[in-house]
Amino acid sequence: MTARVVVDREVCMSAGVCELEAPGVFELDADGRLQVGEPTDLAAVETAVRACPTGALQLLD
Amino acid sequence: MSTPTLHPDPDAVDLDAVDLSDRVFWGAPPQQRHAVFDRLRRDRPFAFFAEPVVPFIEPGAGYHAVTRHADVAAISSQPALFSSGAGAVSIADMPPDMNEFYGSLISMDDPRHGKIRRIVAKAFTPRVLEQLVGSVQAVVDDVVARARRTAADGDGTIDVVRDLAAPIPLRVICDMMGIPEDDRAMVLRHSTVILSGGDPELVQDEALMVTAFLAAGEELAGLMARLAAQRHAHPADDLTTALVSTEVDGERLTRQEIASFFILLLVAGNETTRNAISQGVLALSEHPVERDRWAADPGLTRTAVEEVVRWTSPITWMRRTATQDVELSGQRFPAGSKFLLFYGAANRDPAVFPDPHRFDLSRDPNPHVGFGSRGPHFCLGAHLARREIGVAFRAFADQLPDLEVIGPPARLQSSFVNGLKRLPARLTEA
Repeated sequence: MTARVVVDREVCMSAGVCELEAPGVFELDADGRLQVGEPTDLAAVETAVRACPTGALQLLD
Repeated sequence: MSTPTLHPDPDAVDLDAVDLSDRVFWGAPPQQRHAVFDRLRRDRPFAFFAEPVVPFIEPGAGYHAVTRHADVAAISSQPALFSSGAGAVSIADMPPDMNEFYGSLISMDDPRHGKIRRIVAKAFTPRVLEQLVGSVQAVVDDVVARARRTAADGDGTIDVVRDLAAPIPLRVICDMMGIPEDDRAMVLRHSTVILSGGDPELVQDEALMVTAFLAAGEELAGLMARLAAQRHAHPADDLTTALVSTEVDGERLTRQEIASFFILLLVAGNETTRNAISQGVLALSEHPVERDRWAADPGLTRTAVEEVVRWTSPITWMRRTATQDVELSGQRFPAGSKFLLFYGAANRDPAVFPDPHRFDLSRDPNPHVGFGSRGPHFCLGAHLARREIGVAFRAFADQLPDLEVIGPPARLQSSFVNGLKRLPARLTEA
Protein backbone atom coordinates (compact mmCIF):
# COMPACT_ATOMS: atom_id res chain seq x y z
CA MET A 1 0.00 0.00 0.00
CA THR A 2 1.45 3.37 -0.94
CA ALA A 3 -0.13 6.60 0.16
CA ARG A 4 -1.04 9.14 -2.46
CA VAL A 5 -1.91 12.84 -2.22
CA VAL A 6 -4.65 14.29 -4.39
CA VAL A 7 -4.87 18.03 -5.04
CA ASP A 8 -8.17 19.68 -5.92
CA ARG A 9 -6.89 22.25 -8.42
CA GLU A 10 -10.14 24.20 -8.38
CA VAL A 11 -9.85 24.75 -4.65
CA CYS A 12 -6.05 25.18 -4.23
CA MET A 13 -5.18 28.87 -3.72
CA SER A 14 -1.41 28.31 -3.66
CA ALA A 15 -1.18 29.43 -0.06
CA GLY A 16 1.94 27.29 0.40
CA VAL A 17 1.09 26.07 3.89
CA CYS A 18 1.69 22.46 2.79
CA GLU A 19 5.17 23.35 1.51
CA LEU A 20 6.07 24.74 4.92
CA GLU A 21 4.76 21.63 6.70
CA ALA A 22 6.30 19.07 4.35
CA PRO A 23 8.93 20.83 2.23
CA GLY A 24 10.28 17.71 0.56
CA VAL A 25 6.88 16.62 -0.69
CA PHE A 26 5.05 19.80 -1.70
CA GLU A 27 6.45 22.67 -3.73
CA LEU A 28 4.84 25.63 -5.45
CA ASP A 29 6.61 26.08 -8.75
CA ALA A 30 7.50 29.39 -10.37
CA ASP A 31 3.95 29.61 -11.72
CA GLY A 32 2.49 29.18 -8.24
CA ARG A 33 1.22 25.71 -9.21
CA LEU A 34 1.48 23.02 -6.55
CA GLN A 35 3.80 20.12 -7.38
CA VAL A 36 3.45 16.99 -5.28
CA GLY A 37 6.20 14.39 -4.91
CA GLU A 38 6.26 11.04 -3.16
CA PRO A 39 4.68 11.31 0.30
CA THR A 40 7.80 10.03 2.04
CA ASP A 41 7.35 11.57 5.48
CA LEU A 42 3.80 10.44 6.15
CA ALA A 43 3.42 12.28 9.47
CA ALA A 44 4.44 15.59 7.87
CA VAL A 45 2.12 14.97 4.92
CA GLU A 46 -0.80 14.30 7.27
CA THR A 47 -0.08 17.56 9.07
CA ALA A 48 0.09 19.38 5.73
CA VAL A 49 -3.22 17.92 4.57
CA ARG A 50 -4.88 18.97 7.82
CA ALA A 51 -3.29 22.42 7.73
CA CYS A 52 -4.32 23.29 4.14
CA PRO A 53 -6.32 26.50 4.54
CA THR A 54 -8.62 25.69 1.64
CA GLY A 55 -8.99 21.95 2.22
CA ALA A 56 -7.58 21.21 -1.23
CA LEU A 57 -5.52 18.18 -0.20
CA GLN A 58 -6.61 14.61 0.38
CA LEU A 59 -4.48 11.68 1.45
CA LEU A 60 -5.48 8.35 -0.07
CA ASP A 61 -3.98 5.03 0.85
CA MET B 1 6.07 46.44 34.22
CA SER B 2 4.20 43.59 35.85
CA THR B 3 0.53 44.43 35.48
CA PRO B 4 -1.41 41.41 36.65
CA THR B 5 -3.70 40.07 33.93
CA LEU B 6 -7.01 40.46 35.71
CA HIS B 7 -10.02 38.96 34.02
CA PRO B 8 -13.08 40.84 35.10
CA ASP B 9 -15.82 38.41 35.96
CA PRO B 10 -17.77 37.58 32.78
CA ASP B 11 -20.81 36.81 34.94
CA ALA B 12 -20.88 40.43 36.07
CA VAL B 13 -21.26 41.68 32.48
CA ASP B 14 -24.67 43.15 31.68
CA LEU B 15 -25.19 41.83 28.17
CA ASP B 16 -28.10 44.17 27.46
CA ALA B 17 -25.77 47.13 27.99
CA VAL B 18 -23.15 45.82 25.52
CA ASP B 19 -22.88 47.59 22.17
CA LEU B 20 -20.13 46.33 19.87
CA SER B 21 -20.89 49.24 17.52
CA ASP B 22 -19.79 51.75 20.16
CA ARG B 23 -16.26 53.00 19.46
CA VAL B 24 -15.55 53.43 23.18
CA PHE B 25 -15.89 49.66 23.74
CA TRP B 26 -12.91 49.11 21.43
CA GLY B 27 -10.64 51.44 23.37
CA ALA B 28 -11.25 49.44 26.59
CA PRO B 29 -8.53 47.14 27.95
CA PRO B 30 -8.59 43.68 26.33
CA GLN B 31 -9.47 41.95 29.60
CA GLN B 32 -12.75 43.82 29.71
CA ARG B 33 -13.51 43.12 26.08
CA HIS B 34 -12.73 39.44 26.55
CA ALA B 35 -15.08 39.24 29.53
CA VAL B 36 -17.85 40.53 27.25
CA PHE B 37 -16.94 38.07 24.50
CA ASP B 38 -16.84 35.20 26.99
CA ARG B 39 -20.45 35.96 27.85
CA LEU B 40 -21.57 36.50 24.26
CA ARG B 41 -19.95 33.24 23.19
CA ARG B 42 -21.67 31.34 26.00
CA ASP B 43 -25.10 33.01 26.07
CA ARG B 44 -25.69 34.83 22.76
CA PRO B 45 -23.44 33.28 20.14
CA PHE B 46 -25.16 35.21 17.32
CA ALA B 47 -25.93 38.44 19.22
CA PHE B 48 -27.54 41.07 17.02
CA PHE B 49 -26.35 44.70 16.96
CA ALA B 50 -27.42 47.84 15.16
CA GLU B 51 -24.84 49.17 12.71
CA PRO B 52 -22.51 52.02 13.65
CA VAL B 53 -23.34 55.33 12.00
CA VAL B 54 -21.11 56.19 9.02
CA PRO B 55 -21.53 59.69 7.61
CA PHE B 56 -23.17 59.75 4.15
CA ILE B 57 -23.81 55.99 4.16
CA GLU B 58 -27.29 54.56 4.65
CA PRO B 59 -27.15 52.25 7.70
CA GLY B 60 -28.25 48.65 7.13
CA ALA B 61 -30.42 46.41 9.28
CA GLY B 62 -27.67 45.31 11.66
CA TYR B 63 -25.32 42.35 12.08
CA HIS B 64 -24.77 39.17 14.05
CA ALA B 65 -21.62 38.94 16.15
CA VAL B 66 -20.17 35.44 15.68
CA THR B 67 -17.95 34.50 18.61
CA ARG B 68 -17.67 30.69 18.63
CA HIS B 69 -14.72 29.06 16.88
CA ALA B 70 -16.94 26.40 15.29
CA ASP B 71 -19.31 28.98 13.78
CA VAL B 72 -16.46 31.14 12.45
CA ALA B 73 -15.03 27.99 10.84
CA ALA B 74 -18.40 26.94 9.37
CA ILE B 75 -18.99 30.37 7.80
CA SER B 76 -15.45 30.77 6.42
CA SER B 77 -15.44 27.35 4.81
CA GLN B 78 -18.71 27.90 2.89
CA PRO B 79 -17.97 30.91 0.68
CA ALA B 80 -20.90 30.19 -1.64
CA LEU B 81 -23.36 30.57 1.24
CA PHE B 82 -21.49 33.36 3.02
CA SER B 83 -20.31 35.93 0.53
CA SER B 84 -17.44 38.40 0.80
CA GLY B 85 -18.48 40.28 -2.33
CA ALA B 86 -21.03 42.43 -0.50
CA GLY B 87 -18.11 43.79 1.54
CA ALA B 88 -15.81 42.07 4.03
CA VAL B 89 -14.12 45.04 5.67
CA SER B 90 -17.03 47.36 6.37
CA ILE B 91 -20.25 46.78 8.30
CA ALA B 92 -22.30 49.17 6.21
CA ASP B 93 -22.81 48.36 2.54
CA MET B 94 -20.41 50.74 0.81
CA PRO B 95 -20.87 51.82 -2.80
CA PRO B 96 -19.61 48.83 -4.87
CA ASP B 97 -16.71 50.68 -6.50
CA MET B 98 -15.42 51.87 -3.15
CA ASN B 99 -15.87 48.43 -1.67
CA GLU B 100 -13.74 46.83 -4.33
CA PHE B 101 -11.17 49.60 -4.42
CA TYR B 102 -10.39 49.37 -0.69
CA GLY B 103 -11.06 45.69 -0.22
CA SER B 104 -9.52 44.29 -3.41
CA LEU B 105 -9.72 40.50 -3.29
CA ILE B 106 -10.76 40.51 0.37
CA SER B 107 -14.18 41.77 -0.78
CA MET B 108 -14.56 39.50 -3.78
CA ASP B 109 -16.09 36.11 -4.46
CA ASP B 110 -15.07 33.40 -6.89
CA PRO B 111 -14.47 33.16 -9.78
CA ARG B 112 -12.85 36.60 -9.81
CA HIS B 113 -11.32 36.18 -6.40
CA GLY B 114 -9.72 32.90 -7.45
CA LYS B 115 -8.24 34.39 -10.60
CA ILE B 116 -6.59 37.31 -8.84
CA ARG B 117 -5.55 35.23 -5.86
CA ARG B 118 -3.71 32.80 -8.12
CA ILE B 119 -1.86 35.60 -9.86
CA VAL B 120 -0.67 37.19 -6.65
CA ALA B 121 0.01 33.84 -4.95
CA LYS B 122 2.91 33.39 -7.35
CA ALA B 123 4.63 36.30 -5.70
CA PHE B 124 4.08 34.84 -2.23
CA THR B 125 5.23 31.24 -2.50
CA PRO B 126 7.39 29.94 0.35
CA ARG B 127 10.31 29.85 -2.08
CA VAL B 128 9.99 33.50 -2.98
CA LEU B 129 9.71 34.34 0.70
CA GLU B 130 12.73 32.17 1.47
CA GLN B 131 14.79 34.60 -0.58
CA LEU B 132 13.45 37.34 1.66
CA VAL B 133 14.70 35.79 4.90
CA GLY B 134 18.01 37.57 4.63
CA SER B 135 16.23 40.80 3.91
CA VAL B 136 13.80 40.45 6.84
CA GLN B 137 16.75 39.74 9.13
CA ALA B 138 18.67 42.74 7.78
CA VAL B 139 15.66 45.04 8.20
CA VAL B 140 15.06 43.85 11.77
CA ASP B 141 18.73 44.17 12.76
CA ASP B 142 18.84 47.70 11.40
CA VAL B 143 15.58 48.75 13.09
CA VAL B 144 16.79 47.33 16.41
CA ALA B 145 20.14 49.14 16.12
CA ARG B 146 18.36 52.41 15.38
CA ALA B 147 16.05 51.96 18.36
CA ARG B 148 19.09 51.50 20.58
CA ARG B 149 20.64 54.70 19.18
CA THR B 150 17.38 56.60 19.71
CA ALA B 151 17.40 55.55 23.36
CA ALA B 152 21.09 56.33 23.82
CA ASP B 153 20.86 59.74 22.15
CA GLY B 154 17.82 60.67 24.23
CA ASP B 155 16.69 59.86 27.75
CA GLY B 156 16.82 56.09 27.34
CA THR B 157 13.18 55.77 26.30
CA ILE B 158 11.65 54.56 23.05
CA ASP B 159 8.14 54.12 21.72
CA VAL B 160 7.75 50.43 20.86
CA VAL B 161 5.24 51.27 18.12
CA ARG B 162 7.18 54.07 16.43
CA ASP B 163 10.69 52.67 16.91
CA LEU B 164 10.21 48.89 16.56
CA ALA B 165 6.78 47.64 15.53
CA ALA B 166 5.94 50.12 12.74
CA PRO B 167 9.24 50.30 10.82
CA ILE B 168 9.75 46.52 10.48
CA PRO B 169 6.69 45.62 8.37
CA LEU B 170 6.78 49.00 6.58
CA ARG B 171 10.32 48.42 5.36
CA VAL B 172 9.76 44.76 4.50
CA ILE B 173 6.63 45.40 2.43
CA CYS B 174 8.11 48.51 0.77
CA ASP B 175 11.28 46.56 -0.10
CA MET B 176 9.16 43.77 -1.58
CA MET B 177 7.16 46.19 -3.68
CA GLY B 178 10.11 48.39 -4.62
CA ILE B 179 8.71 51.59 -3.09
CA PRO B 180 11.27 54.42 -3.21
CA GLU B 181 12.64 55.59 0.15
CA ASP B 182 11.14 59.07 -0.26
CA ASP B 183 7.58 57.74 -0.53
CA ARG B 184 7.61 55.52 2.55
CA ALA B 185 6.58 58.06 5.17
CA MET B 186 3.58 58.87 2.97
CA VAL B 187 2.71 55.15 2.68
CA LEU B 188 2.74 54.72 6.46
CA ARG B 189 0.63 57.86 6.98
CA HIS B 190 -2.04 56.83 4.50
CA SER B 191 -2.22 53.16 5.46
CA THR B 192 -2.70 54.25 9.07
CA VAL B 193 -5.60 56.50 8.05
CA ILE B 194 -7.27 53.81 5.94
CA LEU B 195 -7.27 51.39 8.87
CA SER B 196 -7.81 53.97 11.61
CA GLY B 197 -11.43 52.93 12.02
CA GLY B 198 -11.99 56.66 12.38
CA ASP B 199 -9.99 56.89 15.65
CA PRO B 200 -10.44 60.56 16.61
CA GLU B 201 -6.69 61.06 17.01
CA LEU B 202 -6.00 59.94 13.45
CA VAL B 203 -9.09 61.26 11.69
CA GLN B 204 -9.89 64.50 13.50
CA ASP B 205 -13.36 65.08 12.15
CA GLU B 206 -15.61 62.03 11.93
CA ALA B 207 -17.76 63.76 9.31
CA LEU B 208 -14.66 63.90 7.12
CA MET B 209 -13.76 60.25 7.62
CA VAL B 210 -14.91 59.11 4.21
CA THR B 211 -13.11 62.05 2.59
CA ALA B 212 -9.93 61.18 4.50
CA PHE B 213 -10.14 57.55 3.30
CA LEU B 214 -10.66 58.64 -0.29
CA ALA B 215 -7.75 61.09 -0.21
CA ALA B 216 -5.45 58.44 1.28
CA GLY B 217 -6.53 55.88 -1.31
CA GLU B 218 -6.07 58.32 -4.13
CA GLU B 219 -2.51 59.17 -3.09
CA LEU B 220 -1.56 55.50 -2.83
CA ALA B 221 -3.16 54.77 -6.20
CA GLY B 222 -1.17 57.67 -7.66
CA LEU B 223 2.05 56.19 -6.32
CA MET B 224 1.08 52.84 -7.84
CA ALA B 225 0.37 54.34 -11.25
CA ARG B 226 3.78 56.02 -11.20
CA LEU B 227 5.58 52.82 -10.14
CA ALA B 228 3.67 50.60 -12.57
CA ALA B 229 4.64 52.80 -15.50
CA GLN B 230 8.29 52.67 -14.43
CA ARG B 231 8.25 48.88 -14.06
CA HIS B 232 6.67 48.42 -17.46
CA ALA B 233 9.58 50.32 -18.96
CA HIS B 234 12.25 48.97 -16.61
CA PRO B 235 11.32 45.64 -15.00
CA ALA B 236 12.91 45.08 -11.60
CA ASP B 237 13.15 42.17 -9.18
CA ASP B 238 10.16 43.15 -7.08
CA LEU B 239 6.50 42.37 -6.47
CA THR B 240 5.28 45.39 -8.42
CA THR B 241 7.00 44.10 -11.56
CA ALA B 242 5.44 40.68 -10.98
CA LEU B 243 2.00 42.24 -10.62
CA VAL B 244 2.19 44.27 -13.83
CA SER B 245 3.58 41.40 -15.88
CA THR B 246 2.08 38.17 -14.48
CA GLU B 247 -0.46 36.27 -16.54
CA VAL B 248 -2.81 33.47 -15.56
CA ASP B 249 -4.54 31.68 -18.45
CA GLY B 250 -3.50 34.56 -20.70
CA GLU B 251 -5.11 37.15 -18.44
CA ARG B 252 -3.34 40.00 -16.73
CA LEU B 253 -4.53 42.13 -13.85
CA THR B 254 -6.29 45.29 -14.97
CA ARG B 255 -4.91 48.67 -13.92
CA GLN B 256 -7.73 48.98 -11.39
CA GLU B 257 -7.05 45.52 -9.97
CA ILE B 258 -3.36 46.32 -9.61
CA ALA B 259 -4.05 49.59 -7.83
CA SER B 260 -6.44 48.07 -5.32
CA PHE B 261 -4.24 45.07 -4.69
CA PHE B 262 -1.31 47.41 -4.14
CA ILE B 263 -3.30 49.31 -1.52
CA LEU B 264 -4.38 46.03 0.09
CA LEU B 265 -0.79 44.82 0.37
CA LEU B 266 0.49 48.07 1.80
CA VAL B 267 -2.32 48.42 4.28
CA ALA B 268 -2.65 44.75 5.24
CA GLY B 269 1.11 44.25 5.30
CA ASN B 270 1.64 47.19 7.62
CA GLU B 271 -1.23 47.42 10.06
CA THR B 272 -1.47 43.76 11.01
CA THR B 273 2.13 42.80 11.69
CA ARG B 274 2.76 46.11 13.42
CA ASN B 275 0.08 45.35 15.98
CA ALA B 276 1.11 41.72 16.41
CA ILE B 277 4.63 42.96 17.26
CA SER B 278 3.62 45.83 19.55
CA GLN B 279 1.03 43.80 21.43
CA GLY B 280 3.38 40.84 21.53
CA VAL B 281 5.95 43.05 23.30
CA LEU B 282 3.23 44.13 25.72
CA ALA B 283 2.11 40.52 26.34
CA LEU B 284 5.68 39.41 27.03
CA SER B 285 6.18 42.28 29.47
CA GLU B 286 3.02 41.14 31.28
CA HIS B 287 4.21 37.51 31.28
CA PRO B 288 7.90 37.68 32.24
CA VAL B 289 8.17 33.94 32.79
CA GLU B 290 7.12 33.29 29.18
CA ARG B 291 9.41 36.07 27.96
CA ASP B 292 12.42 34.53 29.71
CA ARG B 293 11.52 31.08 28.45
CA TRP B 294 11.46 32.26 24.81
CA ALA B 295 14.65 34.28 25.28
CA ALA B 296 16.44 31.17 26.54
CA ASP B 297 15.03 28.79 23.92
CA PRO B 298 14.99 29.77 20.23
CA GLY B 299 13.37 26.38 19.56
CA LEU B 300 10.18 27.80 21.04
CA THR B 301 9.80 30.28 18.16
CA ARG B 302 7.47 28.18 15.97
CA THR B 303 4.74 27.77 18.60
CA ALA B 304 5.46 31.14 20.22
CA VAL B 305 4.72 33.03 17.00
CA GLU B 306 1.36 31.26 16.70
CA GLU B 307 0.51 32.12 20.31
CA VAL B 308 1.39 35.79 19.74
CA VAL B 309 -0.99 35.84 16.77
CA ARG B 310 -3.75 34.03 18.72
CA TRP B 311 -3.30 36.29 21.73
CA THR B 312 -3.23 39.59 19.82
CA SER B 313 -5.60 38.75 16.92
CA PRO B 314 -4.68 41.99 15.12
CA ILE B 315 -7.66 41.94 12.75
CA THR B 316 -10.75 41.84 14.92
CA TRP B 317 -13.33 40.80 12.34
CA MET B 318 -14.24 40.20 8.73
CA ARG B 319 -17.80 40.33 7.45
CA ARG B 320 -19.77 37.75 5.49
CA THR B 321 -23.28 38.08 4.05
CA ALA B 322 -25.72 35.18 3.63
CA THR B 323 -26.50 34.60 -0.05
CA GLN B 324 -29.60 32.55 0.82
CA ASP B 325 -31.48 31.37 3.89
CA VAL B 326 -28.89 29.60 6.03
CA GLU B 327 -28.60 27.52 9.18
CA LEU B 328 -25.81 27.74 11.74
CA SER B 329 -25.63 25.56 14.87
CA GLY B 330 -29.34 24.87 14.48
CA GLN B 331 -30.38 28.52 14.11
CA ARG B 332 -31.92 29.88 10.91
CA PHE B 333 -31.03 33.20 9.32
CA PRO B 334 -32.64 34.82 6.28
CA ALA B 335 -30.76 35.64 3.07
CA GLY B 336 -28.96 38.97 3.37
CA SER B 337 -28.06 38.49 7.06
CA LYS B 338 -24.70 40.03 7.93
CA PHE B 339 -22.21 38.18 10.12
CA LEU B 340 -19.12 39.64 11.74
CA LEU B 341 -16.58 36.92 12.47
CA PHE B 342 -14.89 37.97 15.70
CA TYR B 343 -11.51 36.26 15.39
CA GLY B 344 -10.20 37.41 18.77
CA ALA B 345 -13.28 35.92 20.45
CA ALA B 346 -13.02 32.63 18.53
CA ASN B 347 -9.34 32.53 19.54
CA ARG B 348 -10.35 32.41 23.22
CA ASP B 349 -13.05 29.77 22.79
CA PRO B 350 -12.66 27.24 25.64
CA ALA B 351 -14.23 24.57 23.41
CA VAL B 352 -11.03 24.64 21.32
CA PHE B 353 -8.31 26.18 23.51
CA PRO B 354 -7.74 24.70 26.97
CA ASP B 355 -7.36 27.54 29.47
CA PRO B 356 -7.86 30.10 26.66
CA HIS B 357 -6.87 33.17 28.69
CA ARG B 358 -3.46 31.70 29.45
CA PHE B 359 -0.61 33.08 27.32
CA ASP B 360 1.32 29.87 26.63
CA LEU B 361 4.19 30.09 24.14
CA SER B 362 4.36 26.32 23.75
CA ARG B 363 0.61 25.89 23.06
CA ASP B 364 0.30 23.07 20.53
CA PRO B 365 -1.95 22.39 18.71
CA ASN B 366 -3.01 25.99 18.26
CA PRO B 367 -5.70 26.13 15.58
CA HIS B 368 -6.20 29.88 15.94
CA VAL B 369 -8.01 31.94 13.33
CA GLY B 370 -5.77 35.00 13.60
CA PHE B 371 -5.07 34.71 9.86
CA GLY B 372 -8.69 33.90 9.16
CA SER B 373 -10.26 30.47 9.29
CA ARG B 374 -10.05 27.78 6.63
CA GLY B 375 -11.41 28.99 3.34
CA PRO B 376 -10.43 30.85 0.18
CA HIS B 377 -9.77 34.12 2.02
CA PHE B 378 -7.11 32.74 4.36
CA CYS B 379 -4.42 35.40 4.80
CA LEU B 380 -2.16 35.57 1.76
CA GLY B 381 0.68 37.03 3.81
CA ALA B 382 0.58 34.51 6.66
CA HIS B 383 4.10 33.17 5.94
CA LEU B 384 5.52 36.64 5.66
CA ALA B 385 3.89 37.72 8.92
CA ARG B 386 5.09 34.58 10.72
CA ARG B 387 8.61 35.18 9.51
CA GLU B 388 8.62 38.87 10.46
CA ILE B 389 7.26 38.14 13.94
CA GLY B 390 9.68 35.27 14.52
CA VAL B 391 12.75 37.21 13.37
CA ALA B 392 11.68 40.34 15.27
CA PHE B 393 11.17 38.63 18.63
CA ARG B 394 14.40 36.65 18.36
CA ALA B 395 16.23 39.92 17.68
CA PHE B 396 14.51 41.62 20.62
CA ALA B 397 15.52 38.73 22.91
CA ASP B 398 19.14 38.72 21.72
CA GLN B 399 19.79 42.40 21.14
CA LEU B 400 17.32 44.18 23.43
CA PRO B 401 17.26 42.02 26.58
CA ASP B 402 17.01 45.25 28.60
CA LEU B 403 13.75 46.34 26.88
CA GLU B 404 11.26 47.30 29.56
CA VAL B 405 7.71 48.59 29.06
CA ILE B 406 7.24 51.59 31.36
CA GLY B 407 3.65 52.67 30.92
CA PRO B 408 0.23 51.76 29.63
CA PRO B 409 -0.32 51.61 25.88
CA ALA B 410 -2.43 54.09 23.94
CA ARG B 411 -5.04 51.88 22.30
CA LEU B 412 -6.54 52.50 18.87
CA GLN B 413 -10.28 53.09 19.11
CA SER B 414 -11.19 50.84 16.24
CA SER B 415 -13.42 47.81 16.08
CA PHE B 416 -11.58 46.49 13.03
CA VAL B 417 -7.92 46.62 14.03
CA ASN B 418 -6.83 45.60 17.51
CA GLY B 419 -4.06 48.15 17.59
CA LEU B 420 -1.71 50.21 19.71
CA LYS B 421 -0.82 53.78 18.82
CA ARG B 422 2.00 54.05 21.37
CA LEU B 423 3.72 51.84 23.91
CA PRO B 424 6.32 53.61 26.09
CA ALA B 425 9.43 51.64 26.97
CA ARG B 426 13.04 52.13 27.92
CA LEU B 427 16.30 50.40 27.25
CA THR B 428 17.84 50.26 30.69
CA GLU B 429 21.37 49.79 29.42
CA ALA B 430 21.16 52.74 27.03
